[in-house]
Amino acid sequence: MSSLVTLGLLPLLGAIVVAVLPSNNVLRIKQAALASTILTGIFGLYIATQFVANETALQFVQKNQWIPSFSINFSVGVDGLALVLIVMSVVLTPIVVLAGWNESEGGRWSAKVFYILILVLETMMIGVFAATDVFLFYVIFEAMLIPVYFLIGGYGTGERAAAAVKFLLYSLFGGLLMLASIIGIYVVSSNAGYASFDITELAELHTIMSPTTQNLLFLGFFIAFAIKAPLWPLHTWLPDAAKAGTPGTSVLLLGVLDKVGTFGMIRFCITIFPDASKTFTPVIIVLSVISILYGAFLAIGARDLKRLIAYTSISHFGFITMGIFAMTTQGHSGAALYMFNHGFSTAALFIVGGWMISRRGSSTIADFGGLQRVTPVMAWMFFIAGMSSLALPGLSSFVSEFLVLVGTYTRYPVAAIIATFGIVLAALYILIPVQRALHGPTTPGNENLPDLNLREKIAIAPVVAVIVAFGFYPSPLLNIINPAAAHVIESAGFTDPAPTEIAGK
Amino acid sequence: MNTSSTLVYLIALPLFGAATLLLGGRRTDKWGHLFATAMAAGSFGVGVYQLFEMLSRSTQERAVTQKLFSWIAVGEFNIDAALLLDQLSICFVLLITGVGTLIHIYSISYMAHDENRRRFFAYLNLFIAAMLLLVLGNSYLNLYVGWEGVGLASYLLIGFWNQKPAYATASKKAFVMNRIGDMGLSFAIMIAFATLGTTTFDGVAEHSHHASEAALTAIGIMLVIAAAGKSAQFPLQAWLGDAMAGPTPVSALIHAATMVTAGVYLIVRSNFIFEAAPTAQLVVVIVGAITLLFGALIGTAKDDIKKALAASTMSQIGYMILAAGLGPVGYVFAIMHLLTHGFFKASMFLGAGSVMHGMNDEVNMRKFGNLRKFMPITFITFGFGYLAIIGVPPFAGFYSKDGIIETAFNAGGFKGLLLGGITLLGAAITAFYMTRVMVLTFTSKARWDDDAHPHESPALMWIPIAILSIGSIASGFLFKQGDALANWLNPVFGEHGEHHEEHMFEPIVVSAMAMTAVIIGVTIALRKYQFAEVSKEAPENVSIFTRFARKDLGQDAFNEAVFMRPGQSLTTALVKTDKSVIDGAVSAIGRLAIASGSVLRKSQTGFARSYAAFILIGAIVLIAGIWVVTQ
Amino acid sequence: MTFTAPVLEYALLAPMLIVLGGAIVGVLIEAFARSSVRASAQLFVSVTAIVMALAQLVRVRNQGSTTPAMATLTFDGAGVLLQGTVLIIALLSIFLISDQDNFTAAAAAVPGSQEEREAHQARVRTTEVFPLTLFAVAGMMLFPVASDLITLFVALEVLSLPLYLMAGLSRYRRMASQEAALKYFLLGAFSSAFFLFGAAFLYGYSSSLTFAGIQAAVTGGAGNDVFLLIGIAFVSVGLLFKVGAFPFHAWSPDVYQGSPTAITAFMAAATKVAAFGAILRIFYVSFANAQWQWRPSLVVIAIVTMIFGSLVAIAQKDVKRMLAYSSIAHAGFLLAGVIALSKPGLDATIFYLLAYGIATVGAFAIVTLIRDSAGEVTDLNRWSGLGKRSPIVAGTFAFFLLAFAGIPMTSGFIGKFSIFSAAYQTGSLAILIAGVLSSAIAAFFYIRVIVLMFFKDPVEDGTSVVIPSALTTITISLSAVVTLVLGIFPAPVINFIQTTAIFLR
Repeated sequence: MSSLVTLGLLPLLGAIVVAVLPSNNVLRIKQAALASTILTGIFGLYIATQFVANETALQFVQKNQWIPSFSINFSVGVDGLALVLIVMSVVLTPIVVLAGWNESEGGRWSAKVFYILILVLETMMIGVFAATDVFLFYVIFEAMLIPVYFLIGGYGTGERAAAAVKFLLYSLFGGLLMLASIIGIYVVSSNAGYASFDITELAELHTIMSPTTQNLLFLGFFIAFAIKAPLWPLHTWLPDAAKAGTPGTSVLLLGVLDKVGTFGMIRFCITIFPDASKTFTPVIIVLSVISILYGAFLAIGARDLKRLIAYTSISHFGFITMGIFAMTTQGHSGAALYMFNHGFSTAALFIVGGWMISRRGSSTIADFGGLQRVTPVMAWMFFIAGMSSLALPGLSSFVSEFLVLVGTYTRYPVAAIIATFGIVLAALYILIPVQRALHGPTTPGNENLPDLNLREKIAIAPVVAVIVAFGFYPSPLLNIINPAAAHVIESAGFTDPAPTEIAGK
Repeated sequence: MNTSSTLVYLIALPLFGAATLLLGGRRTDKWGHLFATAMAAGSFGVGVYQLFEMLSRSTQERAVTQKLFSWIAVGEFNIDAALLLDQLSICFVLLITGVGTLIHIYSISYMAHDENRRRFFAYLNLFIAAMLLLVLGNSYLNLYVGWEGVGLASYLLIGFWNQKPAYATASKKAFVMNRIGDMGLSFAIMIAFATLGTTTFDGVAEHSHHASEAALTAIGIMLVIAAAGKSAQFPLQAWLGDAMAGPTPVSALIHAATMVTAGVYLIVRSNFIFEAAPTAQLVVVIVGAITLLFGALIGTAKDDIKKALAASTMSQIGYMILAAGLGPVGYVFAIMHLLTHGFFKASMFLGAGSVMHGMNDEVNMRKFGNLRKFMPITFITFGFGYLAIIGVPPFAGFYSKDGIIETAFNAGGFKGLLLGGITLLGAAITAFYMTRVMVLTFTSKARWDDDAHPHESPALMWIPIAILSIGSIASGFLFKQGDALANWLNPVFGEHGEHHEEHMFEPIVVSAMAMTAVIIGVTIALRKYQFAEVSKEAPENVSIFTRFARKDLGQDAFNEAVFMRPGQSLTTALVKTDKSVIDGAVSAIGRLAIASGSVLRKSQTGFARSYAAFILIGAIVLIAGIWVVTQ
Repeated sequence: MTFTAPVLEYALLAPMLIVLGGAIVGVLIEAFARSSVRASAQLFVSVTAIVMALAQLVRVRNQGSTTPAMATLTFDGAGVLLQGTVLIIALLSIFLISDQDNFTAAAAAVPGSQEEREAHQARVRTTEVFPLTLFAVAGMMLFPVASDLITLFVALEVLSLPLYLMAGLSRYRRMASQEAALKYFLLGAFSSAFFLFGAAFLYGYSSSLTFAGIQAAVTGGAGNDVFLLIGIAFVSVGLLFKVGAFPFHAWSPDVYQGSPTAITAFMAAATKVAAFGAILRIFYVSFANAQWQWRPSLVVIAIVTMIFGSLVAIAQKDVKRMLAYSSIAHAGFLLAGVIALSKPGLDATIFYLLAYGIATVGAFAIVTLIRDSAGEVTDLNRWSGLGKRSPIVAGTFAFFLLAFAGIPMTSGFIGKFSIFSAAYQTGSLAILIAGVLSSAIAAFFYIRVIVLMFFKDPVEDGTSVVIPSALTTITISLSAVVTLVLGIFPAPVINFIQTTAIFLR
């Protein structure tokens, strides 16, 4: 059995363990959940060490027949991109569990259900990135919605039910479009004589597809992913969901699940439909740029901390999609790295923000103030998270953001230039809440908020460590990502533009 | 090129200091400030060591590099974390670490009573490290890291007392306006990579020879934007005045001596680009010229001693930028003025700090006066700085500023006359407002508040000032002696020794004109403030010009009207759009579905007869349908 | 004239004969057995009959024959599968039906009359429902294997008449129940008339009543096309009425709502199987070569049915009506399989019938559990907070809804995938798009119910969940398990269908 499958099964086992524990012993349940997520995390890191970096072929491959009559297989495997995202997921999950130690209380259902949902979700997160069979991917892609739906609707705050439904309907709609495209792929491939859902085989399909078919099928996939990612103007579900969900849920939602969208764009849209990707690139680049600025402006205008973070993510996803469709190695590696970094900086923002909110009992930014002097450590963590979100050089997100910009500039200078204004807006949307929440005189009611306790410090430490470490030394990640990115670019038939001024020389 | 394995310690030491103090938290309160000072001093030590190393090598062999590791490598985009120390950067290294160390020492006493002194020193160390990275990075991207690093440190230090909302806002303003400059730097890097395929100084320098002027001009102008942001040059100058919210040592170190001169460094460092891009060079000159007058004029109206000095800084950097736009000779004088300015402005800021220290943190010069009796040392050191900045021989400023004025004239023709005129005018105004500061603070009659008990500052504070003022006395002479600095720097600009050029006026003539300008300025100031009553309150019945100058020549009003308010209304508009239009559209679709559902269900009347009717109609339609396709 | 005795292949007819026999035994029991033992005896007889029939079916599954009873029947793989499906559904339904208090004590009595009250007090039990069911089942088994129009008509009536009666047996809301029965009868008769009329025209066209004969005529192209198309149209009306396709659907909401829920389950599931079986056979065997005539119209009907069903379902406040409209929408999906007119289409339709039928029985079975003093509670608003009251029941119902919505990991998803890929394969893009669209709409109301059950607080109005009887439990859990298994490991079933499902001509 491929160690990937083992990895995927670990959280599921955890879920079963949690399920059999007595539901009244909440502490034991939490410990079990934490233990299994940590175990998964460690095993995930171990797998990463076994990965052969400069190797474009999929690794840890496993392929079993599933529904032979539709030539559907249970086939998994990872390239650099998928691996990085899986590692991100399995590292973030235990952090989420530890950081949101008490999130499961005050939900509609027991803590037990909460952790079962989380653990099942983790299995699916691993599976969705590991799946190399389009059908399998789709199954997980859709099934994932259910646990998230119940996590938001069952354990969230405020308009949680409405937000959960909005999230689910958006995603289902996208999913159905994707289903149509998948059916299309199946039909096209079987008419071509080899019915297949295998991503590597489908990569050949575009040679026999008519442009129209290819464009239609591409759109089916892309819209689904653009909803997930989310790309303007399909984004409005995100702020609601992020506000309603528990911080932990929001971390997994924005940090991991939304990456499935951008991941899918690379893995399926570009790989299966290179020509259609070319056709739609201009539109997508424009949408990305809009997302970057639009998200930034709405973040600036946000009054609510969680919504603010959600909108910053919309801006960041704009950068990621732009990097992807810039179709340069810098853009692609940058985008992939961005996915990883965004996972951690958003996690940091939501986790610390969540602590601030739970302490203050309000997520309205105006209710905070002067926290730097009341809870210095928490304030520092929020500040670092913010700096990472505005891509301060020396922090990991800078590397990815700059790679995306450079990579885009070499092919789409105008887009890159407009997008770069985002970094000024970023300074605003981070420093405004920093000033309102951390600086100024301590607002009444905040005088004796407790600072971070040991558990919280332990939870946030690795996130900050990652943010700083990979800012100074991103090579370990880039070494894994580069071959995969280069491979996608190359097989899609693109080459990096040569320096214009020294082309001949 | 030679390599050295010790460059990294220049940065590592202060960085380690910052990390220790920040991570160590309150545990390090007792010794934190000493530790930080030691780190800064250590870094200075390494700098001196490097200097002697460098001197021990032949002129062409002086530059050394150190590659730490490969930082970012994607496709053709390869950035090493590597350092470059050459004749240019060593000047900065010594300035930063030297002045930095002195200011650390000064702050030990100045911040003694602040509960967060440790944090302050952590930030100072952080700044030193970032600033050193800025001047040591061997590529534009490495420079960028230091560039934003100093921005961060500056943000943290301006907002050190951010419990005061105004200060918090000031820090935010500084960061954001700097980011606009940073954007320029990003553009420059992107263009450089897209056109030349590299971002290292050597690489760009090499390719710049066969690159089109258009590309280089683009890069150059972007670099000017970057410089304008960091060095508070027009049109991105508005943040510097507010930045005085930071503790005075910060103003001395960051917002006078070092960080704000980074723009000058950037332009001089990129000489190979500007040499090949006259248009960009012209932009540099224009920016410099505008700013030097802009700052000077603001300086004339400020009653806040720190804001007056800040305005003067802006103006003096204008001189440097102007010079940096005037080719090799200009570079030298830009750097020379940068260094001398580093000494005398730092000493004056520290002096101002010492005055505030003695006057319960009062900054309004109208409430000073006659302090020379009570703060003799501060008075003398400040005086040296004063003489230096207005350019009285043989003080430091004379040599550097005189050089710049001369070079300005030598630009030749109308341009030369114009620039020379501006620089002279600037000199006169400088003399005026600095004399004003001097008089109002030290020599005029006392106008203190009743609770003021002025006293001299402790040794720990005045010794650093004293050392600095030695610099403001002697440095200029030393640099100019036998073109020492010129010969030292020229290899960096690919210049080799002698360069003969047209003199519009003989140097002595220029000096004479400069002195005249200075005397005019001083005289006016003396008549206005020394030999006339000065009111405690700023008089309201002043010329429209003064009012305008007090309002910083409307820079904030302009920014607010042109950028902030439109930006805010755009934001609110978008927020509305998101809710009503985009989200509205989606929910409208939902409502449509529901509505059509409830309309259609009306067909369900419950009467068997109408159901039968459906069936009948259905059957007929079906036949019709089949019929149609059959035909 | 000489009379040749008909040759009957009893082995192949046995399944039907067994069921009919069981029915007759049931009648005898009604006549002679003591009322105290009737119920159990009836249950025993029906179950044995069905099980034996099933067993016999399995034994003879591979012996195809076009002349098991002269030319009136065709016993082939498709027939086996359809009969099997009917039997399985019948078995599940019988368990429900045996949960007796769904039925009135005195069907003939005037609602609310003294007589009725006495009957109730006397605990009289309507055991005649068992033989009625068995008769219906026999008809349903005959329907999809009938291969001449007369037999088809007979089967139609045999399966319909018992259903008319059973619809009127509801214990609660007698009036509505009787109204439903009457409507069903009237409209059924009306549509049967159409069917007969169409049969006549087809005879006029081909001068043959056997499917084979008609096929020959169609292929030969001899005969008057007008007769053919009128024939096709009217026969279709009769059959489409049974499956509740637009615009012949109008009866189903009223009847579904009025009938005893157990019966609703039975007819919603089993009738669809039988009717679609017949449709498949007649269209695939007889009308195949005239497809260019009828296909466009059927495509339109399918599309309108899907959309209409889904749209109107949104507006429903009653769970049974909601399920009725959803079953209309599903009829549309199933028609897509018919239109595919290909082997994949045939397989897909049969799989879909199995999956949908079982899920339907399960869903209605759960409806029988939600009660108050006045019987079943079908008003959706009163279902709110069900998840709190009894998570298991609510969860299972939600699961069935997800299956209807075609969410991955349920049989509904596999069914939807296979049927639409088949439809698209034979070039009907319109169907695919309509399917996706209506699925999106459908998701809307399925999710609404889930929200109602889980994210709304219970209304304290005496609505309660009765502890299901053992048999009902079996039905529900079996349906749930099958729905899940068919969703995750459908391969065996799909393979079996693929290898078995063929029409002998």
